[in-house]
Amino acid sequence: MMAALLRCERRRDALLPLLSLLLVALVLFMGRLEPLFHAAFPQLETPVYARESFWRLTLDHLVLVLVSSLISVSVGVSAGLFVTRRTGREFEPLVSALAAIGQTFPPAAVLAIVVPLAGFGFVPTIVALTLYGLLPVVQNTITGLRTVPPDTLEAARGTGMSARQILWRVELPLAMRVIIAGVRVSVIINIGTATIGSTVGAQSLGTPIIAGLVGDNIAYVIQGAVLVGLLAIVSDLSFERLERRYRIGGEATD
Amino acid sequence: MIELQGLTKTYGDKTVVSDISLRVERGEFSVLIGPSGCGKSTTLRMINRLIPLTSGRILLGDEDVTRLPAEQLRRRIGYAIQSIGLFPHWTVADNIAVVPNLLKWPSARIASRVDELLDLFHLDAGEFRDKYPHQLSGGQAQRVGVARALAADPEVLLMDEPFGAVDPLTREVLQNEMRRVHEQTGTTVIFVTHDMDEALKLASRIALLDAGRLVQYDRPIELLTAPAEAFVSDFIGKADLGLKLLSRRWVHQYQQAATTSGDAPHHWETDAQGHPTCLHGGRPTADVPPRVAVTDDWTATPGMTMKEALSRMVWYRVGVLPVIDDAGRLIGEVTLEGVMGRQP
Repeated sequence: MMAALLRCERRRDALLPLLSLLLVALVLFMGRLEPLFHAAFPQLETPVYARESFWRLTLDHLVLVLVSSLISVSVGVSAGLFVTRRTGREFEPLVSALAAIGQTFPPAAVLAIVVPLAGFGFVPTIVALTLYGLLPVVQNTITGLRTVPPDTLEAARGTGMSARQILWRVELPLAMRVIIAGVRVSVIINIGTATIGSTVGAQSLGTPIIAGLVGDNIAYVIQGAVLVGLLAIVSDLSFERLERRYRIGGEATD
Repeated sequence: MIELQGLTKTYGDKTVVSDISLRVERGEFSVLIGPSGCGKSTTLRMINRLIPLTSGRILLGDEDVTRLPAEQLRRRIGYAIQSIGLFPHWTVADNIAVVPNLLKWPSARIASRVDELLDLFHLDAGEFRDKYPHQLSGGQAQRVGVARALAADPEVLLMDEPFGAVDPLTREVLQNEMRRVHEQTGTTVIFVTHDMDEALKLASRIALLDAGRLVQYDRPIELLTAPAEAFVSDFIGKADLGLKLLSRRWVHQYQQAATTSGDAPHHWETDAQGHPTCLHGGRPTADVPPRVAVTDDWTATPGMTMKEALSRMVWYRVGVLPVIDDAGRLIGEVTLEGVMGRQP
């Protein structure tokens, strides 16, 4: 069982550099594939999206995801920390409910609400993505901190650690794996969801997809979608590696 | 020395610990015992203020520490608990070094202290220093837990049923080890248990609590022979009072000169090095051979409890056990008559 898991992990470890390479190659040299797309879709006049370079689109996409994830993580982890402290305990149901609402709202609906308030482009997309990515971070922070064994906390208090020392030296390191798992889900969701930012004018890998849908150009849709998909898989595999670093106790090491 | 003065804990109008005063001298092994819910654990946890006290004072040496910030106080008091609570993400060495690290000892001093403590608990430093808690057996983890509590040479070591969750065999080994470590370090210990045999084995003084009240605080022998009230003898258990008493008596207290001359009703044969080889006579019934070879199983050592010596006599059906020294040489004997003939 353990051996099978390790073998599986090793195979996925080999996958990460391979897919990263593929992603980078596609981003840089999508134009070179024109003959291929031309052969596949002979009716299309321009079978490769060219209004903007793919590396520019990917970069913009990544900025959207990074900014929104940074906000989600800082807000989400702080909220999770707050409600697991003695003073914030009574706010836990409220915070969990708010985070859940953030995720139940379809991002498209959030855009519809935020655009009239904040205008088109970058900002409403960031708001929608941040709200959407909050729940997994909040929930996993709370769960991660809750799973720190009470005996360990009791022992930590007994040694004379201050509340701050207990948080930094014991609680966070022990909860880290679960928190990272939450960040992973949040980031992966946002990589996919960031594409809809293009409907309100935020440039991203969704831009060729939307253009393709509007202009009936299936090749554009494929180009955008493949890059988004690859980006999500590569991020997922990287997070998996990161999570593995924080494995402790009975879980497998190395 | 640590002294509790009028320690009281109330939750609402419910009094959990009521006006407990006791003094534990330096180097003493004091056991708090009583039925569940008697307030022994609460009392212990008030000492390092994991539970805030409602009223009362705590003196550490001559210093009133009742108002000292809890974190500072805890770094001067060792604390070991039943569930151990080792930090799963740290190595054994890091776990032991927690308090010295908090006290900002230089790293060379911490490293040598860690090795010294592993050594004290007979854990090979090279092997165990870098292990993680999940790689330890229950007994090893508990040793590391106690080592962690002792790391910064605490003025008092508090232990809350530390051996309650391990199997009986390991518990016995850990108890013996605790006795040895206590003798070697001379640390003042306050130990909570609900197991009277454990208390009798370890304690130099026992505090018996009932319903939040200190019923009797005395040497174990006094508790057995001069109970302050009926509750004390009820709690200890009248049925095996005699055996309990013998569990506080040592073979060296009952040891007599061994006879090797053939005229005595029983006598020992020894080899050239002085090891006992055979016993002539000395069996209580007639259906056993008059001459038996001595095996290791029915010898006694001066540090053995008389309870265990008596148990061996019963099991091997001999009225006399040879007492041997560390090298296995015959240095005396204990007899059934000797056990019966002495005032308890």
